[in-house]
Amino acid sequence: MTRYVGGRIAQALLVLWGAYTVTYAILYLLPGDPLALMLTASGVEIDTLSPAQVAQARAYYGLDQGALRQYFALLWNILHGDLGQSLSRNAPVRQLLEERLPQTLQLAGLAVVLSIVGGTGFAWFTATLRSPRVRNLLRRAPAIGFSIPVFWMGLLLIQLFAFDLGWLPSTGNAGWRSLVLPAVTLAIPSAAAYAQVLGRSFHDVWREPHIATAFAKGLTRGAVQRRHVLRNAALPALTLVGLQVGHTVSGAVIVETVFARVGIGRLAQEAVLRQDIPVVLAVVVISAAAFVVVNLGVDLLYPALDPRVAHAPKVT
Amino acid sequence: MTHAPTPTATRRLLHAAACLLPALALLACSRPGQPDASTADAAGASANTLRIAFHADNTTLVSLDPFQVYWLEHRVILRNVAESLTDQDPATGRVIPWLAKRWEISPDALRYTFVLRDDVSFSNGSAFNAQAVKTAFDADKAFVAAVPATFGATYLQGYDHAEVVDDHTVRIVLARPNAGFLQATSTTNLAILAPESYALTPQQRSRGAIVGTGPFTLARYTPEVGIELERRKGYHWPSGAARNPGEAWIDKVAVSYVPEESVRNGQFVAGAVDIVWPRNPFTDLDLRQLKGAGASVHSRALPGPAANLYPNTAAGHVLADPRVRLALQKAIDRRSYATTIYNGDFPVVASIYDSTTPYFKSVGDRLAYDPEGAARLLDEAGWKPGADGLRHKDGKPLVLVQNVAAETSGDVLVQDQLRKLGIALKLNILVIGEMTAANAAGHYDLSASYMTRADPAVLQTFLDPRFTNHSALSTNAYAPDTLRKAQALFDAGLQATDAAQRARAYGELQELLIAQGVAFPVYERLWQAATAARVDGFTWTSEGFALFNDIRLKS
Repeated sequence: MTRYVGGRIAQALLVLWGAYTVTYAILYLLPGDPLALMLTASGVEIDTLSPAQVAQARAYYGLDQGALRQYFALLWNILHGDLGQSLSRNAPVRQLLEERLPQTLQLAGLAVVLSIVGGTGFAWFTATLRSPRVRNLLRRAPAIGFSIPVFWMGLLLIQLFAFDLGWLPSTGNAGWRSLVLPAVTLAIPSAAAYAQVLGRSFHDVWREPHIATAFAKGLTRGAVQRRHVLRNAALPALTLVGLQVGHTVSGAVIVETVFARVGIGRLAQEAVLRQDIPVVLAVVVISAAAFVVVNLGVDLLYPALDPRVAHAPKVT
Repeated sequence: MTHAPTPTATRRLLHAAACLLPALALLACSRPGQPDASTADAAGASANTLRIAFHADNTTLVSLDPFQVYWLEHRVILRNVAESLTDQDPATGRVIPWLAKRWEISPDALRYTFVLRDDVSFSNGSAFNAQAVKTAFDADKAFVAAVPATFGATYLQGYDHAEVVDDHTVRIVLARPNAGFLQATSTTNLAILAPESYALTPQQRSRGAIVGTGPFTLARYTPEVGIELERRKGYHWPSGAARNPGEAWIDKVAVSYVPEESVRNGQFVAGAVDIVWPRNPFTDLDLRQLKGAGASVHSRALPGPAANLYPNTAAGHVLADPRVRLALQKAIDRRSYATTIYNGDFPVVASIYDSTTPYFKSVGDRLAYDPEGAARLLDEAGWKPGADGLRHKDGKPLVLVQNVAAETSGDVLVQDQLRKLGIALKLNILVIGEMTAANAAGHYDLSASYMTRADPAVLQTFLDPRFTNHSALSTNAYAPDTLRKAQALFDAGLQATDAAQRARAYGELQELLIAQGVAFPVYERLWQAATAARVDGFTWTSEGFALFNDIRLKS
């Protein structure tokens, strides 16, 4: 087990390093002068500067060293927690992240919880229905939730729950009440995906011979569903949870704009538009880290749910 | 393993679902006008709070430091927190007293002596006096020395030093004439902050540590979230343009930034905000929705340049040929732009300046839509109609490139108008960073820019290569001899000692830039705000801001 965990952690670190390297390559090494981009982002045009000023600026941004040295210098800084300075916002990247990250973590955290509860609940409810016709109908319903555009769902929820019913605020960052609608909006596509996959797995597992055995032992329908079906059906959905976390980051860009929230999503969007390279790099590394950590958690949960994963003999 | 369903249960479920769907749909369409919880919470649920929704905060320069701020929405807020020596009459553009009771200008236009009110104090208790004015001007000058590209620099042009004559008389001495200086003293950019504010770092001021003499104090600024103002007790020194002689009638102002247009308008319709005040004019659809909710719509053309396009006349570019530039001037149908993009009441642009700019001169007759004239000019220039509907010369089609961050319906209309004459306008959609870089490198034929100030000298901030940090746009816009003439007129406008001289200089400048195709006016930059029925007393200041101390909220 220790070897399994150790291997997974090493893999996770490798992925993180890979994400950083690819992003660095895209931002710094592609054609186009990063200095011109950086100066533009901070509001100065490179052609208004004298050669001496350009050289000075190049040294200031550390662009006068070779690409490889620069790459390792940046990596070294990031490993020491120094994420650099935002070019367009005149503030350390670290400070920006400290301001923004909690907002997005709350939003994404609540959305993940809601999507898991909602998706599992829906699939569970569908599986308990006795009418095959209704069950089949509802099993196809998640496709709708998955295909509705996020911004449109957001606007619809705002219209209904903020403007018409007045239950919840339409926009803002203040308090838990402002978190509900954006989190629900963000959770719907993920919940639909979980419901779809889990529903399908329930459907398959119910047909397996060991379910007949379980009923033969005298278990009730509920107990069979809980102890035999869910545990077997959960693995594909669990894999999906790991993958959906990535969507939460991209979804946050849209949701934060619609609900006028201030978080990592909008920070990333602005930084990409303004080519604020240090901020983009930091956001990519943070999102990759979140993705890697969640998937590591998922990987470690597999053996708990399915002993076969841990005990499978290594083929060498 | 399937259990036979009971038919009644299924029917009941389907029935329930069938009832639920229309019910949800009904809910979504009915019951408008319920309070939206959001802004009520944010504003401390006070009935006497004015709630304003703007489109966005400035993420390029995060700053509320008056001297640096160019962002229009910030200047609206600052106008109510920090005050200036003078104000401008919104109707006539005449400079009128505010913190200065009266002033004298020496015959050589180099010494401005201001006699200050003696009953004014800053909100931190410090006295407003000649020393405070001197401190403010000197701090601004020091800031320009450190950051030459700052927006306030053009307002302060020529400032040398200030002399404290007595406690309430201050003399500002210029090193060279600046006819725009008196107007500059009326702007938010040269607002006078308390000396304590200038002891802080520019970063602290930018984040909201500013103390002024205004009818409101800045209680909170959270970038991209909002701003809160609180009424200043004991205020009684409004500008001559205000109607309320004393303290503000409202307790608080709560500003929020709502980037999504439908949400912003929806909040207004639901009664959650009192004023929606986006950057772009309302469309016909917006107007119907807002007016349906009882809104009054206020409009003012923002003083300064109109929404113009500026050419790239550098060698090798199509617009290097003056005949093509003039053809372009005739090919834009400004009247149909105003009526189709906006509405029948929308003003038609008549110069390179908006009509509210002092020394604006209507040259509308030279901006008439004249497709035949344009076609003739293009023929003369050697651009002949080709089989593909475009004009060609030496085997190359007539294509103009404009870099844009997002394509608007107005861009597409101009594209269509030019297409009729065989000119292809290529709208090159780039992200902001790329766009700035492409424009700086001269990879464009047409570009757009604007700045707002109620003085024609504002054009120099981006169209006079001597004063701009974005040199590409300004140098590319002129043929060399036109640039010399334009700069002579800019200088004449600034060095003039009387209004008639200024009017002549800026009148000639407007004619020159139109005739030489340095600027292609497209539409007047109309700024619009929709106010709810309970808002009374909303009026524009000269530069298109508002004095919140004049606003009353009816219950």
